[in-house]
Amino acid sequence: MSVERRSKSFRLVTALALGASLLGMAACSSGVPSGQGGAAVSEPQHGGDLRVGIVGGSAKDTLDAHSPVTHPDEARAIQLYDTLASYDDNHKVQMSLADKITPSDGGRVWTVHLRDGLKFSDGKPITGADVVFTFLRITDPKAPTGGAASLATLKRDALKATDAHTVVFTFSSPFATFPDIAAQYATGIVPVGYDPKKPVSSGPFMVQSFTPGQQSVFVKNPNYWRAGQPYLDKVTIIDFPDDTARVNALLGGQVDAIDQLPLGQINVVKANPTMKVLESATGSWLPFTMRVDQPPFDDPKVRQAFRLIVDRKQMVDQVLGGHGTIGNDMYAPLDACYPTSVPQRTQDIAKAKELLAEAGKSNLTVDLVTSPAAAGLVEAAQVFAQQAKAAGVTVNLKKVDPGEFYGDQYLKWTFSQDFWFTRDYLPQASNSGLSNSPYNETHWNDKEWTDLVTKAQATTDQTARCELIKKAEQIEFDRGGYIIWGFPNSVDAYSASVHGLTPDKSGIPLTSFGFRNVWLGK
Amino acid sequence: MKVQRGGMSRLFLRRSLFGLFTLWVVSLVVFLATQALPGDAAQAILGREATPERLAALRAQLHLGGSLPEQYLNWLGHLLSLNLGTSLAGGMPVSDAVAPMLLNSTVLMVCAAVIAIPLAIGIGTWSALKKDTVIDNVTGIATLVLASLPEFVVGVLLVLLLSTGLFHLFPAVFVQMPGAQVWNNPAQLVLPVLTLVVAVSPYIIRIMRATMLEVLDSQYVQQARLKGLPERTVILRHAIPNAIGPVAQVIALQLAWLIGGVVLVEYLFRFPGVGFELIDAVTNRDMPVVQALAIIIALFYVVVNLLADVVTLVANPKVRTAS
Repeated sequence: MSVERRSKSFRLVTALALGASLLGMAACSSGVPSGQGGAAVSEPQHGGDLRVGIVGGSAKDTLDAHSPVTHPDEARAIQLYDTLASYDDNHKVQMSLADKITPSDGGRVWTVHLRDGLKFSDGKPITGADVVFTFLRITDPKAPTGGAASLATLKRDALKATDAHTVVFTFSSPFATFPDIAAQYATGIVPVGYDPKKPVSSGPFMVQSFTPGQQSVFVKNPNYWRAGQPYLDKVTIIDFPDDTARVNALLGGQVDAIDQLPLGQINVVKANPTMKVLESATGSWLPFTMRVDQPPFDDPKVRQAFRLIVDRKQMVDQVLGGHGTIGNDMYAPLDACYPTSVPQRTQDIAKAKELLAEAGKSNLTVDLVTSPAAAGLVEAAQVFAQQAKAAGVTVNLKKVDPGEFYGDQYLKWTFSQDFWFTRDYLPQASNSGLSNSPYNETHWNDKEWTDLVTKAQATTDQTARCELIKKAEQIEFDRGGYIIWGFPNSVDAYSASVHGLTPDKSGIPLTSFGFRNVWLGK
Repeated sequence: MKVQRGGMSRLFLRRSLFGLFTLWVVSLVVFLATQALPGDAAQAILGREATPERLAALRAQLHLGGSLPEQYLNWLGHLLSLNLGTSLAGGMPVSDAVAPMLLNSTVLMVCAAVIAIPLAIGIGTWSALKKDTVIDNVTGIATLVLASLPEFVVGVLLVLLLSTGLFHLFPAVFVQMPGAQVWNNPAQLVLPVLTLVVAVSPYIIRIMRATMLEVLDSQYVQQARLKGLPERTVILRHAIPNAIGPVAQVIALQLAWLIGGVVLVEYLFRFPGVGFELIDAVTNRDMPVVQALAIIIALFYVVVNLLADVVTLVANPKVRTAS
C-alpha cells in the first residue's frame, strides 16, 4: 500500500518536473530572455562589481585580442573586443559592429558595412581602416594567430576599406561561411597600431588591471555602442586552476559566478537557495579520434566496429552524469542542415565482432592516448576501454599530461581524443576535415567528401547547401574517423543576486562570457 | 679552547662549501629533469592551437633551441651574474615574476613557523611533564593521527570544518586584489597558515616530549631539584635548553619540509606563492622560472640545515662552555 502510494507520489513529482521543464523549454525557445528561474522579470539595474571565477589561467595569460588560448583569455577577449558579427544564444549569427555583411561574385567577395557612430574606448571612431588592420594582423604570415587558418583563402593584398564605413574582403575561392568567421571571439576589432600591452577596447569593458595567472579587472567602456550596456561598473575575472578552490570561492561568497561546475558539485549547489545552476545543451563534442591512414583504423570496418562498441547512453550517464545528449558520429548537431533522418547508431557487440572478424582483426589490442586536457576525456576513455572488452578488443589506456598531449605527437596520435566547442558544419569541416585543415586529427582525406564540402562552401543558396552538407554528414556517418558519442551540456553556477545569464548553445561558459548582459540585484 | 673554536668555524665553512656543491648538483638534476619533460614552452603556451606555423613563429620569438650543454652553461653563466633570465610564458624578467611570490610564501611560512614552533615546544613540554595522564595520552594519539595525514587532507578537512561546511568563519580560497599585499586581508591567511601549523607541529611535539622525558630523568635535573631550585627554574633553565638541541634538528627538517609542503597547500588555497608558481611553470614548461624556483627552494633547504647544525652545536654544553 505504502509502496504504491509512494510510487504514485513519485509519478506526480515526475509529471510536475516534466511539466516544469517543458514550460522552461517553451520559455527558452520563444527567444525572450525569461527571468531567472521563473522569478518576476524586473528592469536591469546599473552599477555593481561582478567577480567571476574561471577555470585555468596561468603566467601565460594574455590580453591579446587574437591569441586567446585558455578560458580566462577568452573571457577577457570577449569583454574587450567586439566582433563584426556575433552569435546569439541559439548559435545563430547576428550583426554586431557591422550592420550588413553581404556576399557578391558567388561568395568570393564580402562587403562589410559598419554601424554609424562606433567608437573605441579612447574616443576615436571605429573605421574601415581599423577593420583592415585587424584582419591583416590576424592573418600576418610572420606571426599567425588562432584565426589565421580559417582565413587562409583571404587575399590580403586586396583587403581594403572603400570608405570609413565599408570594407571589401576578397577570397581566392568562394567562402559561404565568412559571417561565421567574423563572429568568432578571436576576430575582435582593434584599432590601427594596436598594442596588446595597452589595449584599446571596442567591447563593453576596458582593462583596469591585469595580473597574469591571478586576476584582471575591467571597467565599463563609456563609448560602448549598445544603448544602456553594460550594466555593471566593473568585472573582475579571477583565474582558478583548481576545481575545488573555484567551487569553494563561490560557496564562500568570494566570487559571484563560476564556469564549469564539476559534476559532483551540481547537487550541492542546487540544494543551496542562494545559488543557481546555469545548464545549457550545446553542440560541443568530446570525440575519439581514429587516424584513417594508420592500421588498424585504415580499414573502415574497424572504424565501424569501434563505433558499434560504444554504449552512448552509458557514456553520457557515466562521463557526464547525464548532463548531455547522445551523439550519432556526426558533428555540428545545431547546424540547420544537420541530418536528423539518419538512424541513431546504438551498441551492437555482435555486429562489431563480425566486422572485426571480416577485417581479420579479432582480439585486437590498441593503445588509446588520453589526457586531462578537458573535463571528461579521461573518464570517457576509461568507459570505452570497459565497453570494448565485450567485443574482445583490448584497449590500453595511455594517460599523458596535457604538455605531452599537445607535444610533438599532437595531431599524430593513432587513437586518441579531442574536444570542440559548438560550430556549424562548414566552419568545423575547415578546421578539422580538409587535408589542409590545421587540426585534421583523423587525417581524413576523402575525395568524395572533400568535393561535397568544397562545393557547399561555394554555395550561397541555403537549400542547395544543406543538401550537400547532408550528403557529407552521411559519408562521415558511414566511414568517418570520429567516434562522436555525445554532446556535453555546459554547466555553470552563480549567486542568486546575479541576473542576465541565460542558457547558451555555444559551449562557451556563462552565456559565452556575456557579462555585458549581466546586472546585480538584491 | 682555540682548537674548539677554530673547529666550529671550519665546520661552518665546510658545510657552506658542501651546500654550494649541493646547489650545483640540484641545478644540474633539475635542468636534466626539465629537459626530459615532453613538449616545450611553445607547445605548452599554444596548447591545442599548436599548429606547425604558429609553433615555428613562437619558437623563434622565444629563442628556444641550442644544444643541451650550451643551454645549461648559458643559464649557469647568467645565474653567477645574478641574472635569472626571462620567463618564457610571461615575457618578464624571472626575478620580477618570482620576487612577489617569494615574499608571499615567506609571509605564509613565517606565520606558520612563529605559531607552530613555540606552540609545539610548549605542548611537547607540557605533555612530558604530565606523563601518562589523560592529557599526555590524548596529545599522543592526536599527534600520531595528524602526523599521518597528508597536508592536503588536513587542508580539505579544515575547509569543510571552518569555511564551507560546519562553520562559515574564514574564506576557503585566497583571492588577492590588484595592488593589495597578502597580509592586507588576514582572514584569508588563516586557513593556509593553520593547515601548515597542523602539518608541522605533531613531529615537533613528539620529539620535544621524548627529549624532555629523557632530560627530566637525567642526573643534572635530579641534582637541580635536590639543590631545592623551584620547579619553574629547573624546567626553564636546566631542562628545556638541554632538550632544544635534538629538537632544533627536527624543527629544521620541518621548516625545510614547509617549503615543499607549501606547494600543495598553496595550490589548494590558490595562494599566490612559490609553490603555486612552480606548478604553473612546470605546466607551461617555463624552464627559467622552474630553474630559479628550484634553486631558491634548494637554497632554503641548505641554509636551514646549516642553521640547525649551528644551533645544535651552540646548544651543546660542551661546545658552549668550551668557548
